[in-house]
Amino acid sequence: MTLAPPPHSRTPQRTFSGSRLRALGAGIGLSTLLALTACGGAGAQSPAADGGGDPVSGGTLRFAVGSDAGCIDPQQVGSNDSIYSTRQLVDSLTDQDPETGEIVPWLAQEWEINDDATEFTFTLQEGVTFSDGTPVDSEAVAANFDRALDLGARAALIGGYLQGYEGTEIVDERTFTVTFAEPSAQFLQATSTHTLGILHPDTVAASDDARCESVIGSGPFVLESYTPNDSISLSAREGYDWGSSLWENQSEPYLDGIEFTVVPESGVRAGSLQSDQVEVIGNIAPQDEAQLQAAEAQLLARTNPGIAFGLRLNHDLEVFADEEVREAISLAINREEIVSTVYTADTPAATSILSSTTPDHADLSEHLGHDPQRAEQLIAEAGYERTDDGGWERDGEPLEFEILWFNNAATNAPTLELIQQQLAAVGIGVSLQEGQVAEWQTHLSEGTFETNWGNITRADPDILRTTYHTDLANSYRLEPSALDDLLLEQAAATDPQERAELVAQAQEHLVTEYLEIPVVDLTTVLAVRAEVHGVRFDSGSRVHLNDVWIEDAEQ
Amino acid sequence: MTQIAAPSALKPELPGTDPSEPRPEPATLQTVPGRPDRGGRERSPAQGQAGRTRRWLRRPGLLLSALFLLLVLTAAFAPGVLAPGDPYTGDSSQALQPPGTAHWFGTDHLGRDLYTRVVHGTSLSLRTALIAVVIALISGGIFGVAAGFLGGWIDQAIMRVVDVLLAIPSLLLSLALISALGFGSTNVAIAVALGSVATFARIARSQSLRVCQSTFVEASRSLGSRWHTTLRRHVLPNAAGPILALAVLEFGMAILAVSALSFLGYGAPRPAPEWGSLVSEGRNYMAAAGWLTTLPGLVIAATVLSINRLAHALGGERRRF
Repeated sequence: MTLAPPPHSRTPQRTFSGSRLRALGAGIGLSTLLALTACGGAGAQSPAADGGGDPVSGGTLRFAVGSDAGCIDPQQVGSNDSIYSTRQLVDSLTDQDPETGEIVPWLAQEWEINDDATEFTFTLQEGVTFSDGTPVDSEAVAANFDRALDLGARAALIGGYLQGYEGTEIVDERTFTVTFAEPSAQFLQATSTHTLGILHPDTVAASDDARCESVIGSGPFVLESYTPNDSISLSAREGYDWGSSLWENQSEPYLDGIEFTVVPESGVRAGSLQSDQVEVIGNIAPQDEAQLQAAEAQLLARTNPGIAFGLRLNHDLEVFADEEVREAISLAINREEIVSTVYTADTPAATSILSSTTPDHADLSEHLGHDPQRAEQLIAEAGYERTDDGGWERDGEPLEFEILWFNNAATNAPTLELIQQQLAAVGIGVSLQEGQVAEWQTHLSEGTFETNWGNITRADPDILRTTYHTDLANSYRLEPSALDDLLLEQAAATDPQERAELVAQAQEHLVTEYLEIPVVDLTTVLAVRAEVHGVRFDSGSRVHLNDVWIEDAEQ
Repeated sequence: MTQIAAPSALKPELPGTDPSEPRPEPATLQTVPGRPDRGGRERSPAQGQAGRTRRWLRRPGLLLSALFLLLVLTAAFAPGVLAPGDPYTGDSSQALQPPGTAHWFGTDHLGRDLYTRVVHGTSLSLRTALIAVVIALISGGIFGVAAGFLGGWIDQAIMRVVDVLLAIPSLLLSLALISALGFGSTNVAIAVALGSVATFARIARSQSLRVCQSTFVEASRSLGSRWHTTLRRHVLPNAAGPILALAVLEFGMAILAVSALSFLGYGAPRPAPEWGSLVSEGRNYMAAAGWLTTLPGLVIAATVLSINRLAHALGGERRRF
């Protein structure tokens, strides 16, 4: 590194001094920020907090991921493996505290929301530029939001974030107002996601495919090269000085660059880490955990917020019309066995439809137990009769369904095979149908599935509304019910207490009627070599790499 | 890949299949090159049961292959005899046990017995390969015999299409076709069959051409027999030998191709224990549980090698008629 960053960035800071908290928005106490030192769930301590000396600059971080989504546009990709790299290219208007869910300043130094959550006025930091020198101003942000809704099927997340978007009014160079047609309390959290990361106006104007090949952002790292399905190379942005208020290092990154490589086999990734060919690997498989621990790698885990992994039922189907049958499916699934057999040690079983790290998550685990006898009893109560081969039948219709699944996580197939075994044990027949990831949205919108297996990562409970409200996409073909009102009310609620109450009721409705069968909370696990410090999860269980430094890095 | 390279390496040993000989001279084909040493032994007078046993013992590779194939066939038709367990249900507390006396091939990530899964997967893999070879044999045979027997522009047209098919690597062709047809065992069979239709068509043509130009067919024609009689009585029976030997050889290749496609996830849906899917499932456990990929892989290799050995024996014996 050639430029000398401001002195404060060179020394690790355990606590946040007042001077670093540039004009924080209302409602953010120091307690919030102190909580940062204890990051994430089990084993997720920030390595920088464990000591290891003063950060040193230099070195390239080598990071092996399992897959490549074929795109590096942060607004279009949704796959964790790609977000690790694209997240570093862009800054967001806000950042979200992974512990408290609190929204804190980043590019926007302050904001105001009107009473019915339809108008959001942001004021940008001064002096922020894209990597080609163009300033990040109101017009650039407006161009991003205006264009975002035209993105194709790849950008599935953005539709929910900007739903009801009417336009962005530019007040002055650094102030603008985003307007929605209906209350959209979730939008503030949405501005903290990589999906609404701010891109250069030229990138924004390019075609969807061109954006997948190359993007310009204002983030701490700049894209050097991208070879699909092979590697992504980033270099540090010189003169970067506008990091999120949650980071320890808000100026230039310590690293000179980051090299992401795609290594599909988890065993090979683990071996690469042990033999010092890479410093960080993603998607740790449970069978590699012991080996990595023996090699003294740090295992960082954090449960992804959002909707837990589970069986999502298509309610158009006759077989799911009986609540008894839905409850029986849930009771037949032994979540503990699944978690201990297929997942890493830090992965928890689902305790609600929302995963445990989602703000306003309510623990409903008493409704998600395992009781095969009760399951069989319920099936009999629903009017099914035993067949000779141990299955169930009612009016000639067998009790069976198909699960559509996608191979976007190595744990999917073993989990589903285990669920198939567990359901077969009470006589419910299940067949597994593998689909293509690219066809996922088509299957959802056309309802061409009986059940599917999936989750959605989103650090805001509004994901319940975008997924289950019957006036929206309603991919699961729910009947209109009191649930709709609850979901609408929470979207309009600006009082956090009131919103939490409404979200808890909505979860209870979904879980106790078994409208979806949550099974396991997706947990992101990274293995990091001992000499690497400062890898930290953000609120969506993705990583920011600006704080990262490597011991004994070449200067 | 193996299934592309191997046939071209082996085929020239069969009479008249050299692709560089589109219209071979009849004279060269009447003296078929054989292996002199073995041919001499083969022609020695039969000495009854004892002689036959000695002949088998003199070829331990063939004996071993035959015994192994017998096991494979048993597994295909009566898997319960070799592995009475349930291939679909596991005990998750027994997950990833290494091979031992309790589990000969170890257990997989869900605690299912791998040996049971391999045995029960045999019929799936063999059936798919068999369907593929039968489709390729029948369609390739019809096209080849038609080309060789009818000649003229029909021959030209069929053989140019065959040339085009041969120009595309067979696995690539299978992949393209299966993307169009969709997943599943039957579709895998059709895709693999298309990959080897051209090979069958070529050898069927060269064989029927050889027979058509021989004197006894000429004699039969000059006696006034109808074309279908000539075809049925003379051409087909005399052309069948090498084609059937090729079919056995191609069966081994088809097992490889089917396994390759199910390894890539195009085969029967999970948890069906197709051999290729078993290898693919084990890939993520390579460092922690190498047997999950090694043992099913060895079974595939052993089966294909045994079939190749058998095909060689069949081809060799045919030559000496």
